[in-house]
Amino acid sequence: MAATATLSGLRGRLEEVVGSEHVRTDVGALVTFSTDATPLERGRPDAVVFPASAEEVAGVLRLANELGVPVVPRGSGTNLSAGTVPHRGGIVLVLTRMNKVKEISDAELVAVCEPGVRTLELAQAAAAKGLLFPPDPGSQSTATIGGNVAECAGGLRALKYGVTRDYVLGVQAVLATGEIIRSGGRLVKDVAGYDLRRLLCGSEGTLAVMTELTLRLVPAPESSGYGMAYFPDLADAARAVSRVLASGVLPVTLEFLDRVCIGAVEDYAQIGLDTSAGALLIFGQDGNPAVIERDLERIAQACATEGATSVRIAESPEAASEVLEARRAALPALSRLEPLTLLEDATVPRSRIAEMVDFIQEVAERHQLKIGTFGHAGDGNLHPTAVLDSADEGAVDRARAAFDEIFARAIELDGTITGEHGIGIPKLRYLERQLGAEQMALLRRIKAAFDPNGILNPGKLGS
Amino acid sequence: MTIAITPEKVPEARGVFTPELLDRCISCGFCLPACPTYALTGVETSSPRGRINLMRALETGVLPDDDPTISEEASFCLGCRACEPVCPAGVQYGELLEEWRDHLWNGRRRPFKVRPLLWAVNSPRRVRSMGIVRRHAGRGSEAPGSVNLMLGCFERVLYPRVSRAARELAAELAAPSAQGCCGALHAHNGELARGKQLAKELGEALPGTIVATSGGCAAHLAGVLGSDRVKEFSQWLFARDGAAAAKPPADDRPRIGLQDSCHLRNGLGVWREPRELIARVGEYVELPSAAVCCGGAGSYAIVRPKDSARVLDQHLDEIADADLDVIAVVNAGCYRQLQQGVKRRKLRTRVVHLAELLAGEK
Repeated sequence: MAATATLSGLRGRLEEVVGSEHVRTDVGALVTFSTDATPLERGRPDAVVFPASAEEVAGVLRLANELGVPVVPRGSGTNLSAGTVPHRGGIVLVLTRMNKVKEISDAELVAVCEPGVRTLELAQAAAAKGLLFPPDPGSQSTATIGGNVAECAGGLRALKYGVTRDYVLGVQAVLATGEIIRSGGRLVKDVAGYDLRRLLCGSEGTLAVMTELTLRLVPAPESSGYGMAYFPDLADAARAVSRVLASGVLPVTLEFLDRVCIGAVEDYAQIGLDTSAGALLIFGQDGNPAVIERDLERIAQACATEGATSVRIAESPEAASEVLEARRAALPALSRLEPLTLLEDATVPRSRIAEMVDFIQEVAERHQLKIGTFGHAGDGNLHPTAVLDSADEGAVDRARAAFDEIFARAIELDGTITGEHGIGIPKLRYLERQLGAEQMALLRRIKAAFDPNGILNPGKLGS
Repeated sequence: MTIAITPEKVPEARGVFTPELLDRCISCGFCLPACPTYALTGVETSSPRGRINLMRALETGVLPDDDPTISEEASFCLGCRACEPVCPAGVQYGELLEEWRDHLWNGRRRPFKVRPLLWAVNSPRRVRSMGIVRRHAGRGSEAPGSVNLMLGCFERVLYPRVSRAARELAAELAAPSAQGCCGALHAHNGELARGKQLAKELGEALPGTIVATSGGCAAHLAGVLGSDRVKEFSQWLFARDGAAAAKPPADDRPRIGLQDSCHLRNGLGVWREPRELIARVGEYVELPSAAVCCGGAGSYAIVRPKDSARVLDQHLDEIADADLDVIAVVNAGCYRQLQQGVKRRKLRTRVVHLAELLAGEK
């Protein structure tokens, strides 16, 4: 917490900006804003404010600069890298009151909205006009679009459609020092100046606070279809994925579960999975029904060629829903095994997936941990998930040691320590290993240029 | 500024909560959009995840029993359990809430408005005497059968026609009036042990299968006696009759909506049956908020009338927009809540219990 002298007047000053009913300083409320969806990380803020406009956000930031108090922007708090944990105290700036979808244009294929709109709401508003907002992170029903842009969220459709970054056309943002800027707009082509909207996308609340977003939409596909294939080994599934892509098919869905996940899902959901298999691959395509049929056939063929023990194409929406259930149940199934669930997102090039998952299993055994891995086979984004017994006192330390090795290996394989969850607090110490000292220094200079007093989400990216 | 201490040293647990229940939450936040009080406030503190963090703070001594935010949130929560079906980790929030209130509301801290309610239904004799002047289905001399109708405590006083309608539809239901309250009201208002004891006593008074016309009672009883022995009325009737053919569509069929009972839907997973039964007698209209708590929430409407009315408003808007002929209910608390709301708004829609609706159309 900040020095008492600074804080004594903080509440009153914040009330002048946003109104007294939109400031919380009661200890109970502060406790509930001390965490997000990240396990083990916490830090109690000094105040929580709920601004309703860019002007109010600017007012809070100017005040924070004057008092030297940290500000942590927050949407629904679903992120998995402690990006919204106020570990240095200060003000949590909650943007969920700014929750209007201002425009969905089917003529221009754009959406304009405030940051506090939930991503699923935006997607539904687009769907009502026959349009698709493709990024679909697992938390889309709760997460806000502002948070998704700030973290550059990924999702299940990334291989075919890309990630959040690919849909940000323009942003209105309040700089750390209180000025309001716009970068980009409704244009697909716009190269005037540095591409700040892209820099802000994935900046994890460390450079500016986004207060309006202009997003690209695409026409909604007519239909979709799904299938699944079992393999004796994950290496076979990975080869099948390469064969699929080489055959000119770009599937919308290519998800896998490793042996541990298959077992956990079957124990939990009892949906008839083959627990003797080494890997389960779930594939899907969207678009024109004829194209879907052709592509699913090709994918099934590629799987068979690479040694799939069984391949099934869902013939009805109900069957498709059963196929997808295996993937949907992965995290719930794993999280029920033990009280503490550590979900990571090390990512490697597609061709190295099998090697990486084998390594993860070897590390898990060596550190006496249970780690299941599922993820996006199409883009190499893995979710090694460690489940720990809270009574096992050394488990957290062993898991940290295991993830140290896993991240180091991901970097060696030309991968990344985080595909879609962000750096936040827990992965900052690995970042230099991936980016190098020179680039870290550049990041710090960029941070200083945006935020000279270091008030925005300090101790995270750019620190 | 404080320096981050991670992981935080976990202080000694106080034993307020069952550790396995409190440990389950993985803090993913998927419960936020399902929570009516989060929808009202937009503040994490008034969400299921926020409240679980408050419970954890209470359990570890980070916050004291008399912390004002703790007291407020334990009371502000509707207890609707809409957070449970959307929870990927399977958190049993309803049980945590019962433990929370059991700890907090012991003795003097219990909201004074619920005390007379709990007193009134605390003994079977009192419950029986409450219903003595009303024509419910109970017969003093009747012996329990293999399938018994639970008469409810407040329901037999406020809506005696419901049990009569149930008997009209199912003559095989025995209805001895020597039966007390199921204890749900106690369990939800900080008297967990008494709530469970009353459920067990009712189970002894009514051996065999118990059929309840209120979803809240059914869920509580099933929690104590097991869902093999306890069935909610629509669940039981639908299982008895199977998927009987609906009446052929006609222009004059009434437009009928449903208000789900929260604990019936979120606790027992029963939601399809009442809809199927309604479709036999009218045109079923699914309201957008059919599955969302109406704000009745047991004693909530009495303890927190303003918040209860705020939660109800959206439902009344939807009933008015859909211009329903009838809104059906499957729980006594929803019955009272919607009846009062519809009257206040002067809507033309009739509020009836599903059993009354089916019996009336027979």
